[in-house]
Parts: sequence; C-alpha cells; structure tokens
Amino acid sequence: MLNISLMSKSTSLHSAVNENNTVKSTLPGDLAMWFFILAELTVFAIFFIGFAIAEQQNLTLFSDGKKQLHQSAGLINTIALITSSFFVALALNVMHQNQGKKAAYLIVLANLTALIYIFVKLWEYFALFDQDIGIETNTFFTLYFLITMFHLMHVLLGMVILLFIAKRAFCGAYSAKSISGFESGACYWHMVDLLWIILFPLIYVI
Amino acid sequence: MLFNGKRYMKDTINKDTKLAFVSWLVLIVLTVLSVYLIHFVDNRALYVGVALLIVSIKGQQIIDIFMELKQAPKLWRVLLLSYVVVIPFIIGLIYLI
Repeated sequence: MLNISLMSKSTSLHSAVNENNTVKSTLPGDLAMWFFILAELTVFAIFFIGFAIAEQQNLTLFSDGKKQLHQSAGLINTIALITSSFFVALALNVMHQNQGKKAAYLIVLANLTALIYIFVKLWEYFALFDQDIGIETNTFFTLYFLITMFHLMHVLLGMVILLFIAKRAFCGAYSAKSISGFESGACYWHMVDLLWIILFPLIYVI
Repeated sequence: MLFNGKRYMKDTINKDTKLAFVSWLVLIVLTVLSVYLIHFVDNRALYVGVALLIVSIKGQQIIDIFMELKQAPKLWRVLLLSYVVVIPFIIGLIYLI
C-alpha cells in the first residue's frame, strides 16, 4: 500500500519503510527548499522563453552569435554537470546506508567534476573577450552572458552548499533517519543540472 | 515471513545505484546525440522537435532518478515533470511558428 503525503518530513524521507511494512511516499529534503527550487525554475523559464522570442526576432544575429560560441565547450560542461549530479545521487544512496564519510568523498568528487565546468566556462568567457566580444556587443551576447553568468552563480552557490553538506556528512551530522539537509542540498544541485540541460541546447545547439 | 527492513534498505540502495548509473549513461548518450543530430537531420523543424524531446527525456531522468521524485508525492513530481515538458514545448512553438 502506498501512502501519499504532501508534507516533507525531516526523517526517513525517501520511500520510508514504517513499522507496518508499508512504503511511505515522501518528498526528499525540506519543503522550503522545494519552494525555492520552484522559484528558481520560474526565473530561468522567463529567461529561456525571452531568449527564444528574441531569437525569432533576430534570426541572423542569433545564428551568427551561436557560430561564435564553442559548442564543444558547452558539451564538455554538460557532461561535467551530469557526471557531478551522478556522484551526488550516489552520495545520497550511500548516505541512506549511514556511510557519511563515503558520502562526503563522493560529494567532493562531485565538486571536483563541477570545477571542470567552472574552468571551461571561464575559458569560454575569456576566449570571447579576446575577440572583443562582451555583454554589450549585441542582443545575442547580452542574453548569452546574462543567462550563462546567472547560471554560473547558481553553480558556485551549489558548490558551496555541497561542500557544507560534505563537511557535515563527514562529521556524522546526518544519518539514514535524519537526512533532510543532505537531500535538500543534493536536490538544489540537481536543479542546477536540470537548468543547464535546457540552457545548453537552447543557446549552443538549436 | 518476517519483514527485514535492513535487507530491504540494502536491496533498494543497490537498485538505486544501478538505476543512477543507467540514468547517467542515458543522459550522456542523449546529450551527445542531440549535438551531432544536426549533421544527420536536414529539416530544421524536425531537428528542433527532436532536440527538445531529448531535453524532456533528460529532464525526466534527472527528476525521477537523481532527485528521487519518482517515489515522491504526485503533486511535486507532476509539478517538476511539467516544467521539463511545458518549457521545451513553449520554446518549440516559438521556434516553429
């Protein structure tokens, strides 16, 4: 029997097994984090739709702009973020087994993978700056820098959150029954990945 | 038969780890496919449609497997899944109309 609960719980959050041997469906992490995630997704949705509308009004400009971007850099960044998210998912799985130190190492691995994204993104920016391309060059690059820099700030914030939860996991602050903070941090990181999944084809590929 | 909660958790974790790996593999393959698809598809409308469909599939993988919302309350799962369906759909409409 599957009980559906709309409330987030601070203990035993993921498909919790209770004393009656039933699997209880609960939301991973804190409810407040999920509202924050929804707010972030909404802001990015406005950016995505705004970008698409601007592109339809300036087809040649956007097509030329996209040709000046390094698609391979975008591809490397996508793979880096997906892999980082995978490590975070693995960390959550081992955290369910009360292996805090192992989870912390996996989170550090996720952060190291995310560093690839940071370096590639900065390299990309500086390569454009070397061509005298900046935020004021044209509408395409204004939106490109605005959206990708905003996303980059989320990646940086996500990395700080991941380091925080890794430290706490290493110190034994979480357990399989008290894992809400860990799940909240992990879900924030997956949101950052989710946004890039839409951003990458929109700006680099289509 | 007595219910073994510890065994259940261990089996679930092994299953979740395998699932996460398969999901990671699917995400990588779809990402590479979406980039190189343009070399094989001449029709822009078809290419945009397929690329956005890939976005939705990748989004579903992240939401259900990485975020573990497959077992979450329906309302939250539907909210998040609708995001990766509706936003690519709107983008597709803007590009193709």
